[in-house]
Amino acid sequence: MGGPAWLTAIFAAASLAVAVYCAGRLVVARRGHRPTELDTDGAHVIMGVAMAGMLVSGLRTLPSTIWEVVFAAAAVWFGYRMLQARRGAQSSPWRSSHPLPHLVECAAMVFMFLILPAAAGAATSSVSMTMTATESRFSFLTLPLAVYLFGYVVWLGDRVTLHAPALALATAPASAGPRPGYGSGSPGPEPARPYLAPRCAAICKITMGITMGYMLILML
Amino acid sequence: MSESLAVGRAQTRPAGRAGDTAGVAALDARRKLQLGLGVIWVLDGILQFQPSMFTKSFPDMLAASAHGNPGVVAGPITWSASLIDHHVVVLNAIFATIQLALGLGIAWRPTVRLALAASIAWSLAVWWLGEGLGGILAGTASPVNGAPGPVLLYAILAVLLWPADRDPGAPSVAGRATGRRPAQAVWLVVWGSLAAFALLPASRAPGAISDMLTGGADGAPAWLAWIDTHAASALNHHGLAASIVLAVLLALVAVAVCLSAPALRAAIVLAVVLAAALWLAQGMGELFTGMATDPESGPLLALLALAFWPAGARKEA
Repeated sequence: MGGPAWLTAIFAAASLAVAVYCAGRLVVARRGHRPTELDTDGAHVIMGVAMAGMLVSGLRTLPSTIWEVVFAAAAVWFGYRMLQARRGAQSSPWRSSHPLPHLVECAAMVFMFLILPAAAGAATSSVSMTMTATESRFSFLTLPLAVYLFGYVVWLGDRVTLHAPALALATAPASAGPRPGYGSGSPGPEPARPYLAPRCAAICKITMGITMGYMLILML
Repeated sequence: MSESLAVGRAQTRPAGRAGDTAGVAALDARRKLQLGLGVIWVLDGILQFQPSMFTKSFPDMLAASAHGNPGVVAGPITWSASLIDHHVVVLNAIFATIQLALGLGIAWRPTVRLALAASIAWSLAVWWLGEGLGGILAGTASPVNGAPGPVLLYAILAVLLWPADRDPGAPSVAGRATGRRPAQAVWLVVWGSLAAFALLPASRAPGAISDMLTGGADGAPAWLAWIDTHAASALNHHGLAASIVLAVLLALVAVAVCLSAPALRAAIVLAVVLAAALWLAQGMGELFTGMATDPESGPLLALLALAFWPAGARKEA
């Protein structure tokens, strides 16, 4: 990416912070039987690490090919979840109730790794990775992806205002019933506690959306 | 939830199929448009974080907007561009953060009034110091180059989408906050002035629109450059005719606000199509050049048009 080093470092730090926080959510949810979107949090853990590596070359962990496979698999999962939701399948408080934005995020990650081979390669500094998507045949995808993510960010910002129980309902499936965190189809034991920190989860999604949108805008 | 009711006419809806939300505030038309405005502010903020904005290119771009303006307008533009030139990294980071905060502030219900009010003040300042009043006084204003200045449309939208119900029975979102007559006057002024700008020498001169289209192709991806260069080629010897046709279409849109709801709906569809065409002509705000600070006037004109869509239920009221 070609932004000022201090700015890309801030965005990298933000995405890493989200990754660490989401990893913590997974642990707390497991130990305390507090419902959280396991797939979303899991995706944000790997996404945060991968994005930090794209933004700051020193934070690179895996080759781009591996990331492409990982995010393609995640996109398939969220696509499958979307199809399930469309068919009216009963959803679970332990899985994302709005898989489309996460499908788009995963697709955007695959897109960025494909468009910016240098970004995940062996470049020595982030400044050297200045190839833009405009040179690509798929440049028309960059702007819609960024605008979609900003739309998602703004929509989440609107939802954050809701009181925590309502926000939990907004993020957890309706079929879970009137109280958040209660539903069927969960992989673990039937949860008996409220949804885990729904506002913090929303703020994580907002942070990831802004950071990913920034990366896409840099590719314009 | 009272705040939600105030800003967005929140409605609760029953539990639906899986994935729906239960008992969650639904978004009414005004809130959706507010969020649309918020998205554009967030986009602006992130565009302002582009690498080129932290270089001398940014103050140079601002200074260029002083050309052709009267001294009283140009003086402050030159002064602010010089100030930014000396502290470009810090000031640009502040500008970008402000715009990002405006977008997020509009999205967050408790701060929507504050953010809309701040966006009006910010837009007017940028309209002067960043866009040279849209080139209106410089004689360079044309609908094809974004007149009357895209950022002025942010301020107009913030007023029309203000979360108040001065006229709750108004047929459109725009009329609710300001009242029907003031909203109609705004529509007439905006689209009428665009029609007038289309007839100024900056638009009607031979090759003027064609040159602007060619400029829109600079730095654009191949598919957009193809559209703009072919349009420029087609209009190369028909600049006057193109400006007259554009002016007539814009004038039709302007006067439609005084007509019946079906005619207004048709005019709004035309307005959105014109906004899309202008946006393409503007090279989609030159977003692909790395030097864009906003998406230009096209998306904002479309958002403005949608704010006037006459709702069926409200029409009956």
